[in-house]
Amino acid sequence: MQDILTVVNLAKRYGSRQAVAALNFRICQGEIFGLLGPNGAGKTTTIGMLTGLVDPSGGQVMIDGLDLRQSPLEAKAKIGFVPQDFAFYPTLSARDNLIFFGRIYGLHGRLLRQRIVDTLQMVELADRAEHTVSTFSHGMKRRLNIAIGLLHHPQILILDEPTIGVDAHMRQTIVENLKTLNKRGLTILYTTHHMQEAQHLCHRVAIMDKGNIIATDTPSALMAASGKGIIRIRLSKPALREQMEPLADLGSLTLFDSTVVHIQLAADTTDNIFGKVAVLAEKADIALTGIDILEPSLESVFLHLTGRSAMIDNASLPDNQQPGVEDDP
Amino acid sequence: MIQHIFAVTVKEFKVLWHDREALALLFIMPVFFILVMSLSLEGVYGGGSREQPLEILAVNEDQGQAAGKVILDLGKMERLTVVESLESAPVTLRKAQDLIRTKKYRLALHFGDHFSERIQSESHDNTIEAPVISLMVDPAMNLQLVSSLRGTIQGVVERHLIMARLPHIVHQGLSGLGEQGAPEMAQMLNALTPQLEDIFSNADIGSLGNRRVSLQVVPLRSLVNNRQPTSTEQNVPGYTIFGVFFIVLTLASSFIQEKNDGTFQRILTAPLSKAALILGKLLPYYLVNLVQIALMFAVGVAFFDLRLGNIGALFLISLALSASANAMGLLVAAVAKTEAQVNGLAVLLAITLSALGGMMVPVFLMPGFMKTMSLFTPHAWALSGYHDVMIRGLGVSAVLDEAGVLLGFSVLFFLIALWRFRFE
Repeated sequence: MQDILTVVNLAKRYGSRQAVAALNFRICQGEIFGLLGPNGAGKTTTIGMLTGLVDPSGGQVMIDGLDLRQSPLEAKAKIGFVPQDFAFYPTLSARDNLIFFGRIYGLHGRLLRQRIVDTLQMVELADRAEHTVSTFSHGMKRRLNIAIGLLHHPQILILDEPTIGVDAHMRQTIVENLKTLNKRGLTILYTTHHMQEAQHLCHRVAIMDKGNIIATDTPSALMAASGKGIIRIRLSKPALREQMEPLADLGSLTLFDSTVVHIQLAADTTDNIFGKVAVLAEKADIALTGIDILEPSLESVFLHLTGRSAMIDNASLPDNQQPGVEDDP
Repeated sequence: MIQHIFAVTVKEFKVLWHDREALALLFIMPVFFILVMSLSLEGVYGGGSREQPLEILAVNEDQGQAAGKVILDLGKMERLTVVESLESAPVTLRKAQDLIRTKKYRLALHFGDHFSERIQSESHDNTIEAPVISLMVDPAMNLQLVSSLRGTIQGVVERHLIMARLPHIVHQGLSGLGEQGAPEMAQMLNALTPQLEDIFSNADIGSLGNRRVSLQVVPLRSLVNNRQPTSTEQNVPGYTIFGVFFIVLTLASSFIQEKNDGTFQRILTAPLSKAALILGKLLPYYLVNLVQIALMFAVGVAFFDLRLGNIGALFLISLALSASANAMGLLVAAVAKTEAQVNGLAVLLAITLSALGGMMVPVFLMPGFMKTMSLFTPHAWALSGYHDVMIRGLGVSAVLDEAGVLLGFSVLFFLIALWRFRFE
């Protein structure tokens, strides 16, 4: 399949801080590709470089065969971008916003009018076309934000955390809409820290942490690699790897921060797993403060790869961006 | 309750402290106002100031001594400097007119060749013309200032008129007494004192001198032929320039809002150059400025019979003025980081540059260093350009310098703004 986006050794450095290390990945036509990771993983910087907003310190971005640095205007015309925050004019109507953004992508006349009608219908805002955007609910603004990115029928739609601040129903609607668009042939690059959402939506994902891609594959392949599940054990005090060895009978061990141990289960043996862990821990003279069993999922894969939950950082979001603040009138 | 107030107060202080540049502007602004306004206004009251006296040329063609004495007395006034000679040569009428036309001097007094003879003459003597002093002024001179100066000069001249005519008056009085004959000399001397008192008590210019000196104000090179422009004609250009630069606040706020809303970022992911974005963003404000200028002049024409002069020259200055105001707005948008900083900076610039540029006080009345500083404001050049067209009646070629300097300001502001501007 033809590559729509190719990233080669893409890097960004701010002074002495390496925000994004040399990234390499490619997205094929018709694919939904997820860029996953917690806040601060480098996703937004990467998106900035892919859309031409941030100058890379090194590397190359090719969009449908065009080098973004050498042919920025032609390459940008193939991208539809949906930023994390609402980026439109709240004092204008939805239609006027779309007219403006359509024109800067070279649309005009009957084609522009038709695209506006189609796009507003798709995001279920047709009846609010003439209303001032400042009167819209959070969810409606979120849909308009996406509509602007779709208006010019891009080759690839890049969405930066498009479901932040929407309730479960709206999140589901957005995900289903994206699936529909994808079925019509639209290639999608989707960033999120919602592993479950990515697992449900994406054909392939790249997991980012601290500016690096730590894994790239299909969600099912990544989950298969994590075995039959993961046992996460928290210790009361730091322990050496040698002390933990008795637990290795259950599967391969990963030690994080010397107080958190992950056991990647070798077989589907969750029966009486708490008892088995307790016996082995006693044998190793280790006091436990907590134990969780994680079913195979992208969340458990991320947890196992980084020792941290991708969702933890969600707690730091402002109130109005927390899930469940949808207030459609 | 008190705890809540305290918590809110502390939070607000922290917010203010977080935007230290905006906070600093709150202190810098009044200091600037005090400095600029006080220094520039100093010259308005009393015609000039001790440090920066008003310079007035004196053309003395009088064959007698009266004009020389008036000039000497005027020169003793601490707020006036009378210039009788330039490069060791007396100032001639032609030289004075040239110097005013070229805006090197704003005022000149002209005493005709028979001034002394005429102030001595009787009003009923039709063979001798009434004495006249011409006060030649640049038509763009502030009317209140001309009026105040005229009063001052008139006062000095009339005092001299009385002094010059006093011997003649006394002689007349004593001649009357002499006709009464020598034998009654003792009684005559007794009668002399109250009669003289009576004579001098009535010695006002109208009845005593018979001749009154006429001080004629002659505006040179005026669009409205040989009459001093009205205060509206003088003030509309200044108000217009003042209003035009308010676009700085509106324009810079709009740029900051787009930065904050993230719309700039989104637009830049589209196939659109940064230059197109900035120019597209500036163009409406530029047009708003031109409409603003047209509207203000239209009001002047409709309600105050304002004469616009050469429309081409007026348009040229207006185009250049709007360009400099827009470029300054972009510069403020580039330098300021927050809405509060934009507000503070825009107001600071609007007031201080207007004061420095001569919107409130004529530049030639300002102290020397402020005169120099005014050259670094677009306001001063725009005002000079408008005065050239609307008051002095000049055309396109005469305002090319002003338009060029205004465009120079525009380019300078624009380049600095582009260097400093960040879209995020």
